[in-house]
Amino acid sequence: MTTMLKITKAGNHGILLPQLGIGLDYSGKQAEHVFVSHGHADHIPWKADAKVYATPATAAFMKLRGARNEVQTLPFKQSVETENAKITFYPAGHILGSALTFVESDYGNLLYTGDCRTPPSPASEGFELPNAEIDSFITEATFSLPVYRWADYEELKADITEFATSSLEDGFTPVFLAYNLGKAQEIMHLVKDLDHPVQIHGAGFKLCEVYEQHGIDLGKYETYDRETCQGKILICPSSAINNGFASNVRKKRIAYCSGWAAMESRRSQLTVDKLIPISDHLDFFELIALCEQLRPKMTYITHTPNPDVVKHYLDERGIKSQFLDTKVEQDD
Amino acid sequence: MAASIIHTFYTLAKTAQKINETRGSNAKIRICAEYFRSLTPDKDLQLAAQFLGEGAFSDVSGKRASVGSRTYSTLAAELCEIDYEKVFKPSKTAVGSSSETIEMLLHNIPEARKKWSAEELTLQEVRYIFEQLYDVSSRADKQEILKKTWLRMSPLEVKYFLRIMGRGSLRIGFESKSIVSAIAKAYGHKVADVRYVHMITGSIGKTAVLAKHDQLEEAQFKLFQPIAFMLASPIESRSVDVYHHYVAEEKFDGMRCQLHVAGNEVKIFSRDLNDITHSFPEIVEFFRQRELPGTVLDGEICVYRDETILPFQLLQKRMGLKKPSKKVLNEYPTLLIAYDILYHDDQPIFEKTLTHRRSLLSELSEKHHFPITTQKDIQHEEHIEELFERALAHGNEGLMLKHKESTYEYGQRRKSWLKVKKPGGSLDTIMMYAHAGSGKRGGTYSDFTLGISVREDERYEEEFIPIGKAYGGYTDDELKKLNARIKDIIAEKYGPTLGLYPNIVVELEFDDIQVNKRTKANYTLRFPRFKAIRWDLAPDDVDTLKDVERLYEEKMNRERLKQAENPSFTFKKQS
Repeated sequence: MTTMLKITKAGNHGILLPQLGIGLDYSGKQAEHVFVSHGHADHIPWKADAKVYATPATAAFMKLRGARNEVQTLPFKQSVETENAKITFYPAGHILGSALTFVESDYGNLLYTGDCRTPPSPASEGFELPNAEIDSFITEATFSLPVYRWADYEELKADITEFATSSLEDGFTPVFLAYNLGKAQEIMHLVKDLDHPVQIHGAGFKLCEVYEQHGIDLGKYETYDRETCQGKILICPSSAINNGFASNVRKKRIAYCSGWAAMESRRSQLTVDKLIPISDHLDFFELIALCEQLRPKMTYITHTPNPDVVKHYLDERGIKSQFLDTKVEQDD
Repeated sequence: MAASIIHTFYTLAKTAQKINETRGSNAKIRICAEYFRSLTPDKDLQLAAQFLGEGAFSDVSGKRASVGSRTYSTLAAELCEIDYEKVFKPSKTAVGSSSETIEMLLHNIPEARKKWSAEELTLQEVRYIFEQLYDVSSRADKQEILKKTWLRMSPLEVKYFLRIMGRGSLRIGFESKSIVSAIAKAYGHKVADVRYVHMITGSIGKTAVLAKHDQLEEAQFKLFQPIAFMLASPIESRSVDVYHHYVAEEKFDGMRCQLHVAGNEVKIFSRDLNDITHSFPEIVEFFRQRELPGTVLDGEICVYRDETILPFQLLQKRMGLKKPSKKVLNEYPTLLIAYDILYHDDQPIFEKTLTHRRSLLSELSEKHHFPITTQKDIQHEEHIEELFERALAHGNEGLMLKHKESTYEYGQRRKSWLKVKKPGGSLDTIMMYAHAGSGKRGGTYSDFTLGISVREDERYEEEFIPIGKAYGGYTDDELKKLNARIKDIIAEKYGPTLGLYPNIVVELEFDDIQVNKRTKANYTLRFPRFKAIRWDLAPDDVDTLKDVERLYEEKMNRERLKQAENPSFTFKKQS
C-alpha cells in the first residue's frame, strides 16, 4: 500500500473512489464502474453512465422500479476485476439482494456496508463479512443513538403475528405500514404461517416475484384491491394510508413497522394503533459491536444525523473514525 | 374476604402505558375505570387518581417536588455511564422527551441494566419518596433520593415517575376530563356530578373515593379552598349569533384572582390556585373593613392611581412579592374589581345563572362598598364596537362578552364567556434559531426564536437580536414548509437548536410588550405567535429595536381615560 485510498462523498448518497474510478451507489459521471448495494431508491444510480454492477436480486428490483441502467449481475462472493481493483459482494442482511461491497486494490481494501443488518433479515440471503483485516470501513449509522436497541427478534415476530390475529379476532382488519421493498416482504414472510390471505400495495406487489424466485416464502398474497381488502391482512407504505388506502374499511387497526417506531412521538404523528420497532438496519449497539469486531484502520460514518455520538463511542474503544457526510432518508 | 392486595406503582405505570397505546377516548376511559375498580383500599384509589390526574402532590397541597430536568437528566447519564453532553443530549433531541429518553437508555444500556432491579414499589412508597423530594432542596440531595428510587424501578416506572413528578401531562392522551369520566364510569355516576365534586373538592383523589362510596352529595364547597376558574374563549370573527343573550364588561389588563372572605378573614388565590394573599395587603385590609359574610368573589387585581387603571407592566412590580415595601405599596396601589360571585349566604351558587349571580353581586357591592365591573347590555352589533373602543380608551385590553343564562363553568373554557381582544401589535422579525419540539412535535423543529434588526444601532455589534420565542400560529403545512426550508439555511448546530442564516421573515403577533432587563433587547413580547410567514419579505425588511421601543413608549404613555364618566367599574364609596 503506497498511498491512502481517497474516499469522497458524491451527491446525496453516493461515494466515489476517484483513484479507482469506482462509484458506490453513485450517480455521477466520474466513475467507470458503479456498484449498487441494494434496490432502495436512494441507492440506485439513476443517472450513472458507467458500467453498473448489482446482485441478481438487486438488478431485478432496479429493473422493476424503472431504472434504465444496463446492469451486470454479480452474484455474492464472486469477484469482478477492473484495471486496478477487485470487487466482491457479500450478503448484507438488509433486504433481499443487499450487499456489502468489498474493494481490494493497491491502496488497501475497503468495505462499504450500503445498508446492512445483523442479525440479518430472514427475508434476505443472510449476513457475511469478508475474511480479511479491513483497512477502510464505510458504514451507515442510521440509528446512531443508544435509544435505539431492537427487541429480540422472536419477540418482534410474536408482536407482529399477535397484532394480526387479535385484530382479526376482534373483527378488525389489520394494516401493517411497511416500506414497499424489504419490510413489506419480511412481514409477509413472518405472517405466512397464519395462513390468512394478505393483500399488499401495488408498488410492493410487483417486487414480490423476485422474492419468490429467490426461494423466500411469502405465503398467500395478492395485490391490494379496495373492494375485497376487508378482513385480509393488509400491507402498505405509511404514505398510502392517508391517501385513501383501505379508507372504505372502517374497522381497521394500524401497526407502524419501522425502526423509527421506537419513538412514542410517531404514534400521534401517524395516528396508529401499534408501534412495532422492527428495522432493516443495525441498532446502535449492533453498529458499535460490528466496528469492534472489524477494528478497521479507519471507519467512515455515513447516513446519520449523529456522527459525533458514534465517533465518541468508537474513540472510547480506540477505533479511528470520521464522518462522511450524506443525508438520511426518513423512509427507510 | 381476600387479604388486602398491595397495589404497586408498576401496575399504575403499566395501566398508563396501556391507555397511551389505546386509541379512542372511550376505550381509554374503560381501561382506567377498570383499574380504579381494582384498587381496594381507599387510600390507594385516592393516590392512584391523584398520580394520574394531578401529579406527585394534590393540587390543593400546593406542593411541588421541584426537580429540574438537568437534575434528573445528569443522574440518568451517570447511571448509564454515558457522557451527558455528547450522548444524552443528542438522544433527548431525537426522542423529544426527557422521560422517554431516560426510559429507553435505562432499558438499552448494559451498564444501566446491571444496576436496576424492578422491586415493584407500592403506590404508598412512591408517595413517600415524593414527600422526601419535597423536603430536601439541594440538587445533590434530590439526586440521591432519585437514584435510590430508580435503582428499584423498571424503566417504564421511571418514565411515569418523572412525568407524575413534573406535574405536567402524562402524555398518554388522557387529561383530567377523561379521568373524571373514568371515575363516573367505574362507579356508575353521571359525569356532570363527578365533575362538580371534583370542582368543589379540588381533589381528583377525594372525588374518586366519594364516587366509590356513593357519597358525592357529601362533597361541600369550602370557604378558603380555591376552586378552578371559569375561562373564556377567544371570539371567532366577532360572530355572536344572538347579541341580546350576552352582556359586556371591559376586560382589565390585570391579574385574575379569587377572593374568599368571611368577616375578618380574607384569602386571595391566583388563577393557578396559589395563595397570593400576602402580596396584596391593601386589598386584604380593604375587604376586612367591609364586614362581608362568607363570600367568594371572582375578579381582577389592577394597579389603580389617580382614577386611572394602569398597565399590567406596573402590576408586575407587585407580583410574587412576599412582603411588599411601603414604597412599592405607595407607588403601585392595587384595587380588586369583582365581576362574579361564587359563594353567597353560606352556599355555593355556581349553578345559578349569570343574571342571578350578578344581581346578588350588585346588592352586596352596594351594601358593603366594593368595586364591581360595569355591565352593559348589548343592543346591536355596532354597539360591541363602541364598547370595545371605550374599553381601549380606558387602557383596558378589550371586552368580555358573557352569556346571561350561563352557570359558572368552573375549570372549563367554553363559549359562555368570550373575549374580544385587540392584538397588542405585530412586528416583522427574522428567524434566528429553530428548536426541536418535544412531545407530539418531537422530531420536527417547531419552536422558533425570532429577532429584530439592530444593524444600524450603535449600541449593538450584531445584526439581529432575539425578541421572542414562538411555537404556534402556523399551520401544519407551513410548519412542514419551514422545516424543509430551514435545512438549507443552517449556520450552526447546538444540540437541539439550529442557528440559522437570516433568511425567513415572520410577521409576529403579540399581546403586549414588556421591559425585561435580562434580555439582550431589554424587551420581551407577551404571547408571541406567528401571524404570517412573509416569504415575500427579506432580512432588510425586518423591524428594528427602535420600532419596538417606539411601540412600548406609545403604549405606556397612551392617554388613559379616567374612570370619571362611563367608568369600567362601579364603586360606591361609603359616604
